[in-house]
Amino acid sequence: MVIPSSTNVGNPSPVGDFPARDQRAISNCQSVAVGDLLPPTERRTDQQRPAAYNPASMAIIEIENLTKTYRVYQKREGLKAAIAGLFHREHREVYAVRGINLQVEQGEFVAFLGPNGAGKTTTLKLLSGVIYPTSGSARVMGFVPWERDNEYRRRFALVMGQKNQLWWDLPAQESFRLHQQIYRIPPTEFTRRLDELSDLLQVRPLLGRPVRELSLGERMKMELIAALLHSPEVLFLDEPTIGLDVVAQHNIQQFLKFYQQERRITILLTSHYMKDVAALCKRVVVITDGRIHFDGSLDQIIDSFSGNRIVRLQLAEGQTADGLSMLAEVESVELPRVTLRCARSDVTRVLARILERYQIVDISIEDPPLEEIIAKLFQDAPAGRNDVAEVEVGR
Amino acid sequence: MDDKNASQHPNYVQVFLTFARNSLVRDMMFRTNFIIEAISSLSWALMNVGFYWIVFEHTPSIGADTGWGKYEFFIFMATTWIINSIVQAFFMPNSEEFSEMIRTGGLDFVLLKPIDTQFLVSLRKVHWSSLSNFLLGMGLLVLSINELQDRPTAPWKLTPSIVGLYAVYCACGVAILYSLMTCLASTSVWLGRNQTLYDFWFYITNFSRYPMEIYRRGWGIVLWVVFTFIVPVLLVVNVPARILAQPLADNTSWRWPLAMFTIFAAIISVLISRWVFQRSLLAYRSASS
Repeated sequence: MVIPSSTNVGNPSPVGDFPARDQRAISNCQSVAVGDLLPPTERRTDQQRPAAYNPASMAIIEIENLTKTYRVYQKREGLKAAIAGLFHREHREVYAVRGINLQVEQGEFVAFLGPNGAGKTTTLKLLSGVIYPTSGSARVMGFVPWERDNEYRRRFALVMGQKNQLWWDLPAQESFRLHQQIYRIPPTEFTRRLDELSDLLQVRPLLGRPVRELSLGERMKMELIAALLHSPEVLFLDEPTIGLDVVAQHNIQQFLKFYQQERRITILLTSHYMKDVAALCKRVVVITDGRIHFDGSLDQIIDSFSGNRIVRLQLAEGQTADGLSMLAEVESVELPRVTLRCARSDVTRVLARILERYQIVDISIEDPPLEEIIAKLFQDAPAGRNDVAEVEVGR
Repeated sequence: MDDKNASQHPNYVQVFLTFARNSLVRDMMFRTNFIIEAISSLSWALMNVGFYWIVFEHTPSIGADTGWGKYEFFIFMATTWIINSIVQAFFMPNSEEFSEMIRTGGLDFVLLKPIDTQFLVSLRKVHWSSLSNFLLGMGLLVLSINELQDRPTAPWKLTPSIVGLYAVYCACGVAILYSLMTCLASTSVWLGRNQTLYDFWFYITNFSRYPMEIYRRGWGIVLWVVFTFIVPVLLVVNVPARILAQPLADNTSWRWPLAMFTIFAAIISVLISRWVFQRSLLAYRSASS
C-alpha cells in the first residue's frame, strides 16, 4: 500500500477512495462529540492544595492563569554598544506563556499545536516542574509540579524528542536498570514491563547495543521505554517524532495509541506533524504566542477555520478542463485529473453544474490539508509579540 | 495502580553503585583513553615528587623550625593527592557536567527523577582513572611513614586513633572541596556560562597545596585568614596531613582549636553548598528545545 502523503488527513467524502489507515485515524477523531471535549467552565476557586487528588471530582490536570516570563538581555549591534552593555544593560520581559487556563480529564490524549516559540514546550516544562512559573497555578494529580514532590515525580514522565536522557555510550538496558533503582520498581515488575514494552516497540534485540549506535527512531523508542518503565499515569510528550522517517513515525504513533488505550493514561503531546495529531488526539489545543487560541476537536478546527473544500475530478477521456474556472477556482490541471477549490457552501451547487456539463469518472471531496488550516489558524492569532514590557535594568 | 511500592525511597547506596558500575563499563569501553588518562595523571604526580626531591636537596625543611622535613612534606603531598583524586574521581566530572547541563537544558531530566537532585547531579559519574593518583598517594604515604618511623628529633608515632582521625579529616577535606566546587558550578545558572570553573578551581586549590606555616609571614597572613576562615581550602590538606606527619611532634597550642574548626567548617560548607544549589535550581530556566 502506498503511504499517503502527510497532507491528506482531512475529512474524506463518501465518493473518494482514501487509504484505509487514514480512514481509521479520522474516524477516531470524529467519534467524539465536540461538547465533551471543551473544558468545563471554571469551577475551582480555592488556592489550597487538595488533601488528596480525587479522580472522580477533579480534572487530572488543572491550569489557571499560568504565566511564565523570561528576562532577556537586549543586545545591541556594534562594538561600542557591546562595551556600553558591560556597564548598563537593557533587559526586557519576554512572555513564553501568558495566562493559560486548561483542564484535562483523566484518560484524555491532548495535542498542543502552535508555531515555534508559542509556549507549548514551556507549558510542558512547567507541568513537569522543571521550571517555575512567574504567576498562576497548576495541579497535576493534585500536586503542584514545581514543588517537585518525589511522590509526584514517581507518577509522571516527560519525553523530549530533541534531548536524550539515556547514557550515550552504554546499552539502553543499563539506563533502564538505573531507572529501576531510582523509581524502585520491583524486579519482577521491571522485567515484565521491559519485556512488554520492548516487544511492543520491537527493540528487544537492540537493548544490549550502545545508545550511540542506534538510529534516531530506535533511540526514541528507547526513550519511550525509559519513560514508561515506572508506569506513569500522566505522560508529557514534546515532539516525540521529530526528525523521524514516516515508518518510524507511524510505529511510534501506533505504539502510543495502543498504550494509551490500553492503560487509559493521560497524555499531553506537542508535535509539528499533523499526522501525529490526527492519528492520536481527540482534543486539540492551539497555542499561539503564549495563549490558548483554540480548544476543541480536530473536526471542529476544520469546520471553523476552513471555509473551503477541495474537489478532485477525474475527467472522462477526451474531456478538457475548459470552462471549469468559471465554476470554481482551479488549483491544478493534469489531465485527466483536475483539482478545484470552492467555498464549503457552494460545493453542492458546483458539483451539480459539473455533473451536468462534464463526463466524470471519479470525484472526491476533501478538506484542505490540515497543515494549511493550521497555518491559517496560526496566522489569524492576534499578534502579541509587540506588547512586551520594556524594562531597563542596570547591571 | 499496580505500583505497590510507590511510596518507597530509592536506595541511595545501590543507585550510587550502579552509577559507579556504569561509569566503569563505559571507561572500559574506551580502554586506551582510560590508560592514557591514568598514565598522564600519574606522571604529573611523579614529576611533582621529583621536583620536591630536588628542593629538599637544597634545604632540610620548608621554613625554619616548622618541622616540615622531606618525609613530613611527602606525607603532606600524598594527602593532597589522596584528597584531590577522590574529588576528581567522584565530584569533578559531575560538577563540570552540571555546569554544562544548566547551559544545554540537560538538567530537565535530572529534575524529573524522584530522588534527591543534588545527589543525582553530584554522583552521576565516576572518573575511575583519577583514582590512579589515590593509589600513588597511598604508596607515597607508606614509604614516608616507613622513613619517619625512627625520626631522631620529636619521636613519631602511629596509633589506630591517628589513622582514624586522618581518615575523618580527609573526609572533611573532601567535603570542603566538594562544597566549593558545587557552589562554583551552581553559578552557571546566573552566569549562563561558566567555562572558567576549572581555572578558578585550580587558582583556589593551589593555596591548599602547601603547609599553612608558609603563609604566616608578612602579608601572607591575609591569605592565611582568607583561606582558613572564609574559603577554608587551607584546612583541606593541612589538618589531616598534620595529624599524620606530626611536624615538631605537633604540640602547638592551636592544634585542637584548628581540628574543631575544621569539622565545623566542613559541616557549614556542605550546608552552604546545599543552599546555593537549591537557589540555583530555583533560578534554572532550562534551554529552549
